[in-house]
Amino acid sequence: MTAPLGWGRRYLMCPPRYFRVAYQINPWMVEEVVADAGRAQEQWDNLVATLRAAGAMVEVQPPEEDWPDLVFTANAGIVNGSQFVPARFRHPERQGETAHDVAWFTQAGFDVTELPIGVCQEGAGDALPVGDALVAAYRFRSDAASHAYLSHVTGAAVRSIELVDERFYHLDLTLCPLDSRRAIVAPLGWDRYGCAVMEALIPEPLVLEPEEAMRFCANSVVVGSTVVMPACPPRVGRQLEAWGFDVAVCDVSEFLKAGGGCRCLTLALDVTLGS
Amino acid sequence: MASEVVEIEGHIIDSLILAKVMDLILAAGADYRVLDVEIGKTNLDMSRARLEVSTPDADALQSLLDELQVHGANRVITADAELVAADTDGVLPVGFYSTTNLPTSVRIGGRWVEVMQPEMDCGLVYEGFIYDGEGRLTAAPMHRIRIGDLVVVGTEGVRVSPPSRPRGAHPFEFMNSDVSSEKPKALLVRRVAERIRRAKASGAKVLAVCGPAVIHTGAGPSVAALVREGWIDVLFAGNGFATHDLESNVMGTSLGVSVHEGTAAEGGHSNHLRVINEIRRYGSISAAVDAGYIDGGVMYECVRRGVPFVLGGSVRDDGPLPDVYTDVVQAADAMRYLVPGVGVALMLASTLHAIATGNLLPAGVETFCVDINPAVATKLADRGSHQALGIVTDVGLFTSGLVEQLIATA
Repeated sequence: MTAPLGWGRRYLMCPPRYFRVAYQINPWMVEEVVADAGRAQEQWDNLVATLRAAGAMVEVQPPEEDWPDLVFTANAGIVNGSQFVPARFRHPERQGETAHDVAWFTQAGFDVTELPIGVCQEGAGDALPVGDALVAAYRFRSDAASHAYLSHVTGAAVRSIELVDERFYHLDLTLCPLDSRRAIVAPLGWDRYGCAVMEALIPEPLVLEPEEAMRFCANSVVVGSTVVMPACPPRVGRQLEAWGFDVAVCDVSEFLKAGGGCRCLTLALDVTLGS
Repeated sequence: MASEVVEIEGHIIDSLILAKVMDLILAAGADYRVLDVEIGKTNLDMSRARLEVSTPDADALQSLLDELQVHGANRVITADAELVAADTDGVLPVGFYSTTNLPTSVRIGGRWVEVMQPEMDCGLVYEGFIYDGEGRLTAAPMHRIRIGDLVVVGTEGVRVSPPSRPRGAHPFEFMNSDVSSEKPKALLVRRVAERIRRAKASGAKVLAVCGPAVIHTGAGPSVAALVREGWIDVLFAGNGFATHDLESNVMGTSLGVSVHEGTAAEGGHSNHLRVINEIRRYGSISAAVDAGYIDGGVMYECVRRGVPFVLGGSVRDDGPLPDVYTDVVQAADAMRYLVPGVGVALMLASTLHAIATGNLLPAGVETFCVDINPAVATKLADRGSHQALGIVTDVGLFTSGLVEQLIATA
């Protein structure tokens, strides 16, 4: 039996008032590239509207001038019921975001559980629930050593996946759970052990071709039966529709300049792991 | 060889991480030993594994450990061992680490320092700076301890490697059976001869420990031939063996019994005393050899070839011969001096000296205990010399077999 995802109806987002490509910490970022602030704001507003139209609630976190990537809320941390596990960022360029994330979640009534100092873990960007398990990635931004801690603090059964292609530096560029049996996947980002683990977890994968993965197709947001995507090549769209999903394409090209798509701009607040 | 213990925890079975880590170790040309694995009972439980990773050298180990760390396998941080200075000569500090004869290393200054010549029932003394771990670590019997010696205390930071068993068919499978009384002896002799050849070829020394029965049973000429032809490099024995060897050379008897006819010689019971007495007159066995009083036998060949020997005394010795160490502590130290470099030890019809020698040998020394009585080999193993292989046979047959293999077919 295929059941819809038990989460994905409530999101945290952060407006791109101070968003810019200020540094280079992934292969998509090129410092000479200038993001158009006006277009970025338009695209973000459109994404919020699309998510709301699909039936999602969107909560807004205030932007901070010194932290341009705060806009990518997916990396703030991991939500598990009323628990929030803040990220430990690999790069100093993003480490200052955590204080603002913790402040927001604290005022929102979450219990904050921190990971130990010294292990990196970049939030939901590198950890997505698939069925009962929490699929967590490591190598570029998160450490494998964080996974045992994640399991300790959340009680979740973690499946560790090694990322092997730096263009897909976060898990959410290679995986988008659609429902209880299906997910959009880009296995070219995983090592062969990871592929085997994912194969066992996802009975019906929609396997992206390399060029589809490069267009951030896996960095999509699922709200019930609507898939909000940065791009949707015809083959992918046909499969999603055949499975009964509606596809909404949101142009987030200004954010792609920094290596982030629809999923990166959102953090689901209604996730309870293991349920 | 360099090795380190790594620990990995999490859903490492379902995530195939443990399998991956093991694959990576082997792919790097290294090896691992699973120290323990706790596998979670349910899907939610985490599992934990500890692996000992070993590589041919320290650099390879470091780069492999760096790689494994990416996958969450972390080096188990081991604290440095505690070193306490001895405050009395000949006395180890309270709580001293008591050694085994197995390869042992100790964490000092963040490094694993290997014990140079493992010996059981000793303390470990470190000479060098404690902050860099570049010094020497030796097994020292308690009587050798001097005030100020830095001695390892407790078991923290001490690592003992069990004897390694190579994978696949062991070229010397009969090593796996402790005492063999029901094996074809010719085959055993041939294989022991192979081990001796191999040890000599690698530059290792062959040690023979002989009991008086070697002479009584008529094996003396075979052992003498092995010494003469350079197959035995060190000899340990007691007053009895040397006495009967010399007696048989001078008088043709061993404890008064003709070694040729096997009959008791007239007044033979005093033969050995007369020989001891004469050698005491010469002052030493080598002086007696030089004077021509002794012109054959095992001791003669040792003197002629310059093969060092240690004769350890006991309370029931007649004489004793002037070469016998009457202070047992000095005797053990003299044996200790000759043990480094020994690769094969032949314990020939000796019980007490075999056990004494077994106490001094590192576990890596291949030890063959030849005796007509299976209890001797068992005794050796019971006292910690687990590497000893007992061969239950007449020592005369065994040694003539060795001569045939090593000399006649050379």
